[in-house]
Amino acid sequence: MSHPLAFSTIENLSKLLINKEISAVELVSLFAERIDRLNDLSKAFISLDIEAALERAASIDLSDDKSKLSGIPYSCKDLFDVKGLPTTGGSRVLQDNIAEADALSVSRMNAVGAIFLGKNNLHEFAYGATGENILYGTAPNPYDHSRLAGGSSSGSVAAVGFGLCPAALGTDTGGSVRAPAALCGLIGFKPTYGRISTEGVLPYSWTLDHVGTITRCIADTKILFDTLDNSPRPVPDIVDLKNLTIGIPETFFFENADHEILSSIDQLITLLTRSGAKVQKVPMPSMEYTRTVSLTVQMPEALSYHNRYLESRGELYSQDFRAGLALGQCLLAEQYVRAKRFIETYRRDTDKVFADVDILLTPATPAIAPKIGATEVITNGYSEPAGNTITRYTSFFNMTGHPAITLPCGMHSEGLPIAAQLIGRHYEDEFLLGVAELVEREFGLGVPLPDVG
Amino acid sequence: MKKLQIETLTGIRDQLACYPWDDSELSELVDPKLGIITGFQDLLDQLEILRKVDLGDIPPAGQIEDR
Repeated sequence: MSHPLAFSTIENLSKLLINKEISAVELVSLFAERIDRLNDLSKAFISLDIEAALERAASIDLSDDKSKLSGIPYSCKDLFDVKGLPTTGGSRVLQDNIAEADALSVSRMNAVGAIFLGKNNLHEFAYGATGENILYGTAPNPYDHSRLAGGSSSGSVAAVGFGLCPAALGTDTGGSVRAPAALCGLIGFKPTYGRISTEGVLPYSWTLDHVGTITRCIADTKILFDTLDNSPRPVPDIVDLKNLTIGIPETFFFENADHEILSSIDQLITLLTRSGAKVQKVPMPSMEYTRTVSLTVQMPEALSYHNRYLESRGELYSQDFRAGLALGQCLLAEQYVRAKRFIETYRRDTDKVFADVDILLTPATPAIAPKIGATEVITNGYSEPAGNTITRYTSFFNMTGHPAITLPCGMHSEGLPIAAQLIGRHYEDEFLLGVAELVEREFGLGVPLPDVG
Repeated sequence: MKKLQIETLTGIRDQLACYPWDDSELSELVDPKLGIITGFQDLLDQLEILRKVDLGDIPPAGQIEDR
């Protein structure tokens, strides 16, 4: 049986704090005890700041100035700078890299009273979607510990999934927030490119990096986005499903996928149609070379950043990341520029799709969480590397920069969550979140909590 | 386009201002044995196809305009 407070939403915890039914110190203590008990299993945290969190909680308990995040504990992927703590990127390379200031996102969370607990495990420098880390271990899925939580924001998802904090920050370069959240029955959101600042976050690929959030419900996502957003704007009128046109991609996003996942998405489409939403098939840009385009941008950008450490600490990088960097070295400048021009065509062509529809709907992933250690995943007869499977349906929208959110929509017969992905127009993040909240509320698609104690 | 040769990559490394990658690392890109990076030749083949696409005057992607 899971502890009810540990799996409560920010909304609920905030009410308890404001009504003084629980103190911030009690809340931090609750999560600290759980981290102490479950971190060996979850491998969610790689550094902690509990003493400072308790001090901060005590001062918040004495204050009458309350926001929805006052006294709410959170964590962040160890790419975010937190003043005085090492930002390691989950790597041996940066064990002594002490941050001199908070990342802007961390600073904004702290400014409204959120309480930082610690930093989360990840795929080294966010290079990979399985979340495997030779230094800190591989975060397991809360629903089945023999399977992956997914990555690269593996520890951030595990922290929320195992009930070690109510929300976490991650980064999403190819789906590294949305996909693992989907695999673990949580909400993963990446906003329009640039709407949450990456200042103070170790980069992987400047063109594709987004800061994202991991929460238990859409309302909590909205609270975090409201705090982190670079360019707040009026929240649109409450969305009515009857006025909504939903696009279903004709190709790629429903191919070579698990039958039960496709069936769950079909059921969701049926529910939306019955609620009055107009659902129509839409042509998407060709996806044939999207992974090539993405890699051709990612690896030279990653190399360009890591060049500062390669000379003096090159031997400390893991073998697979070094291999990726070497690949980045062997691409030509014109190939990189051309890939960025293809990204611009993807953006424009996807914008054209949004001329006819308000929202796109796809499965979040083509498969449930792979087994830990699996290198290949076979889905409906189609074989590919595990990391490619995890991000197959998410990575395109890192290139286009459209806001996208994954939300649970059912359970697989193997006991693992299934999720849908909704994608909105550029800068219509609030509208996207409004639709996602309606879907969550109207259809009650949440999944049962994992039994992690 | 001819198949990539190890000599091409060692030449890039030695003559074009690069990080001094080990021969074994460059060899993996040409003839993968450890399975860490596979498909670099496939990537290059796909880039060759993309090279032949006329992108007109489309610029590289930059910031997304807030309309």
